[in-house]
Amino acid sequence: MVSLKFSVNTPAERERLFIHLYKTAFPATARYVSKKGGSFDEAKDVFQDALVVYYEKLTDSSFVLCVDESSYILGIAKHLWAKSFREGIRYTPLDHHDTEFIEYENDKPSNQMLLHYLETAGQKCMEMLKAFYYDKLPVAGIARLFGYSTVHSATVQKYKCLEKVRDTIKEKSLAYEDFIE
Amino acid sequence: MRISLNKIEQIDNHLFSRGNAKDRLIFEAMLILDPALKSQLSWQKKTLDFVQHYGRKKMKAEMESVHRQLFSDPAHQRFRNKILSLFK
Repeated sequence: MVSLKFSVNTPAERERLFIHLYKTAFPATARYVSKKGGSFDEAKDVFQDALVVYYEKLTDSSFVLCVDESSYILGIAKHLWAKSFREGIRYTPLDHHDTEFIEYENDKPSNQMLLHYLETAGQKCMEMLKAFYYDKLPVAGIARLFGYSTVHSATVQKYKCLEKVRDTIKEKSLAYEDFIE
Repeated sequence: MRISLNKIEQIDNHLFSRGNAKDRLIFEAMLILDPALKSQLSWQKKTLDFVQHYGRKKMKAEMESVHRQLFSDPAHQRFRNKILSLFK
């Protein structure tokens, strides 16, 4: 993670980052959305989606930020807004119209049920996998966060979790599809 | 590590293009020869899709809580007024 001024390993650290970004970047996005005839709620949705995109860029080690943070976020927000506008709909949050997985898979009720199941029954593993694959934290940091004494044991645990979650997904998605279809 | 975990590690390395050229070539050959491995690979990809979706959902929840805080806490009154005035 090449995060600039903020470390974002824990929810408290991310909260600080989000407050900072809200204060510095939300006014410009809100002004833009308002000028385009959008509402406060739409400004909020498009801004939060832009923050998700920005965060995912930050976690990509090859990402180099060439403009300042606020302009970058405003640029993403404008892009998302224009895309939604072209499709002739009011702004709907990212979940409904972006990325392959979400577009093709997430609308399926079986996947919604499965995600809900993983959030509850498999939360510990999901949190760990999120740290590795979504937040892309360094393994030493993950070991510390999750209380493993060595990097090796944290890595082994990652593979155990992958196996466990994968098997759950496999088993449940077949069962849910049977149930729904 | 258990054999099944080694397999998972191999698939993970394949998905993220890690490891040396020789190992990667061997893995690609195994994928052609072993339909079970191919199926495991696709379930493991699907797992990572779920992890991504889980990550986004969690992050949206964290942002939502920041949003609530900024638009209700008296400490952020000036910021709030500035934003809300844009939508009058």
